Amino acid sequence: MPVVELKGVSKRFGKVVASSDIDLRIEDGEYVTILGPSGCGKTTLIRMIAGILEPSEGQVLIGGRDMSGIPIEERDIGYVFQNIALFPHLNMLENVSYGPIVKDMSEEDRQTIPVRYLELVNLLDRMKVFPSALSGGEQQKVALARALASGARLLLLDEPLSALDARVRMDLRYELRRITKDLGLTVLHVTHDQEEAMTVSDRIVLMRNGRIVESNTPEMMYRAPKELFTANFIGETNLLAGVVVENRDDRTLVEVRDGTVVEAQPSKFEPGDAVVISVRPERVHALEEGLNAVVRTMSFMGTYIRITAEADSEDILGFDVPVPRGRDFNIGDNVHLGWSMASALLYPRPPGGIAEAVKLE
Amino acid sequence: MGSSDKLLEFISGRGFRKGWTAFNIIFFLSFIILPTVFILSSAVTDWSDIQEHVLSDPATMDLIISAVVVSFEIAAIVTVIDFVAGLPVAWMMARKEFRGKQFLDTLIDMPLAVPTAALGFSAAIFWAATPNPPPFSLSAISSPMLLIVLLHVVFSYPYMVRSLTAILGGIDETYETAGRTLGASRLTAVRTITLPLFRAGLVTGAILCFARSLSETGGTIIALATLYGRKMVEGDFQTGPTLIGLWKDASVADPTLVPALTFVSILLIILALVLLVVLKVAIMKVRVPLRKVWPSPEKLLSRGLFPKIKDTSAILFLLIVVIVPSFFIFTYVLTGTPSDADWNPFIDALVTSFVVASVVTAIDLATGIPMALYIAKNRTSKLSQLLDVFVNIPLIVPTAALGFSLGLFWNTVDPAAMPPIVLIILSHVAFTYPLVVRNVVGAVEGIDPAYEETARTLGAKPLQSFRRVLLPMIKGSILAGAIMAFTRSLGETGATLAVVANANTAPVFIVNLVNDQSYYLAAMACIILIIISYVFMLLLRRFTREEVV
Repeated sequence: MPVVELKGVSKRFGKVVASSDIDLRIEDGEYVTILGPSGCGKTTLIRMIAGILEPSEGQVLIGGRDMSGIPIEERDIGYVFQNIALFPHLNMLENVSYGPIVKDMSEEDRQTIPVRYLELVNLLDRMKVFPSALSGGEQQKVALARALASGARLLLLDEPLSALDARVRMDLRYELRRITKDLGLTVLHVTHDQEEAMTVSDRIVLMRNGRIVESNTPEMMYRAPKELFTANFIGETNLLAGVVVENRDDRTLVEVRDGTVVEAQPSKFEPGDAVVISVRPERVHALEEGLNAVVRTMSFMGTYIRITAEADSEDILGFDVPVPRGRDFNIGDNVHLGWSMASALLYPRPPGGIAEAVKLE
Repeated sequence: MGSSDKLLEFISGRGFRKGWTAFNIIFFLSFIILPTVFILSSAVTDWSDIQEHVLSDPATMDLIISAVVVSFEIAAIVTVIDFVAGLPVAWMMARKEFRGKQFLDTLIDMPLAVPTAALGFSAAIFWAATPNPPPFSLSAISSPMLLIVLLHVVFSYPYMVRSLTAILGGIDETYETAGRTLGASRLTAVRTITLPLFRAGLVTGAILCFARSLSETGGTIIALATLYGRKMVEGDFQTGPTLIGLWKDASVADPTLVPALTFVSILLIILALVLLVVLKVAIMKVRVPLRKVWPSPEKLLSRGLFPKIKDTSAILFLLIVVIVPSFFIFTYVLTGTPSDADWNPFIDALVTSFVVASVVTAIDLATGIPMALYIAKNRTSKLSQLLDVFVNIPLIVPTAALGFSLGLFWNTVDPAAMPPIVLIILSHVAFTYPLVVRNVVGAVEGIDPAYEETARTLGAKPLQSFRRVLLPMIKGSILAGAIMAFTRSLGETGATLAVVANANTAPVFIVNLVNDQSYYLAAMACIILIIISYVFMLLLRRFTREEVV
């Protein structure tokens, strides 16, 4: 039932445009993440859906119903806050019971529902404890139980894991997805952490400067980003400026700044077009021939070694090698870097420069 | 190493700092706390006198009991009115953005600039059914009780609104939003979440209002004298402090009144202290169970017309009950009949008042800041916790009783050594000192000690890290404390009258003018006093703003 639709939604604070002309549809039961750097307008967006903010223009529809003028409490949403916001003067059970009580549910529901959801997050044994006595992760689980106990079918998660320790954050991600999928809820999850977005969502909506850049499944966002900004923001990538020299059916040949010609995916670019090549570090290899480069740094990453090398084209490239092979490299070594044609994506060179196009703020 | 470095070294030394702290604690205990509660010892030493002249005299007892009861009744009613009328305004100030917010902010503070003596006169001629009401006055109220309640609301209201605003601003609005996402209407969320969370602020606000009302003397005497159209006598409507003022005045001629004075003062001090504890416990412990919700009526009241009516009536209350009576006195300039008068005595009184207020503020700052730093930085020590409680005592004790106790104390020590002006200064220090300490303690506790620690790791001596790091951050609060202390001293009547019966400060001068029914002169004196304190406050306010920004 809770399909969420945004139609031409904009929000301005004075002269600052926080969201501009957003169109978005979230299907029933879908887990959607709104991803973007700080200040991109993602929190504004979720707040407009919750009713904490009213859009300056456009419509928010929940379950097909226009929400303009409908106060927060009548939108039937569950909202989990970044700063957790468990009521400090109430214990865990009272916190979770808050929704059923203020929604005037039957006495039986008031008794059973809070217990059921506390059990769901495995914190039934802490029900008499006050928020300050729990760890951040436990608190956020209770906050989730509290949001669920109000009976909402649409869950809005506003950076729910950002305030937590790295390890707790990882564990909770899976909890979040498991619980919401078990209950069949529609979820809108806001985060600036691309790894978090990749692991929990059915679909990622990437935002920048108040606009939606691109929206797709996590896999497609990583493997085939349509925008240069996406390629850079999701995962890591090497960006090289170049000019197309030849467009064949099965590949595009691009000349980088030192004159070396490298291969990239087939494209529609014409010879002479200024382009940017994006190639992920795990796809770059040291070969017999290729882009000539000098090893500058080596970092041990656990399962692999990340090497950065400065190419003759003045580009800095990162590439990964398995740990045993890492011993073959030393700082100052000359290497030849190359990649398979299919792993190099091509984008038109932005007129304002690459740095400007991928800048986070 | 230059001589200034040597001095710095010496001042930063452990020995000097310990000595300095000890000195300030001793000053506080012996010059403020001991004189304030000294009178309690009279209960033991002069018990036979009290027995003879007070307890066995039903007429005197009746006077005392009824005056004390009236004082507490008025304070309780005033506190409740302040809370009910002040909460919506505090809410607007803390949570809403609207045009004219800055103006409303100034408006709320305005009564603080008016000395209570002037306020008493201004409010009385506005409300009271006096024999010769000035034009535009309501002249509707003939009940002294009601008049005094209205008067006390005027000057305690800003304290309530300020306390509530401060604490509301400190409560994360997310809690309320969280409640609403769970399905609570705005009113339900406020009642079940925000209100329980801001009890601490409510305690502060309620205690401040209660204490202010319980203490107030000058304005009350003036308002009653205006209502009666003559100087007050024993059979009139009396509050505890007015009774002290009356008897202190009469005790110069009739020393048998001293035991009665002692008894009223003891009663007021003890009851005030007991009440402080009771109020604190009552507000902190009483819980409205969460079970009780009325979703539909509360939902109804959360939307539509009701919030608008609530806000509008709160603002109207501020204007009609607080602001207009405060400044009604200015109509006298237009309508009064000028009389030839000798202004010199008033100017003398004014100069005295300013000298007293300045010296008092200077002493408060010099000894209060180190005390505040000690309290705020040694939270775990028992001594610090004890001092923290002690600092509040002069704040809650009615100033008339405090003044009487203080006078008695120094007379016992050495009657000849203390000229009246020194006694007045000491009594004013006693009740203004907590204002400075409270403000500074609050500010210091709000600042992360990491800043000072960082300065120390960078090589700053304790004094340097205080001056260059902490001081700039708490300057605003120090000045706020100083302004409060200064204006309180400038407007104080009760303590002054109780410590020296024939003192010559501006508020006492005005009381005497009203008692003599020289209304025009009194009004002019009030206006001058208001203008001077207001200009003073504006200057300080501007100064604090610049410093803070």
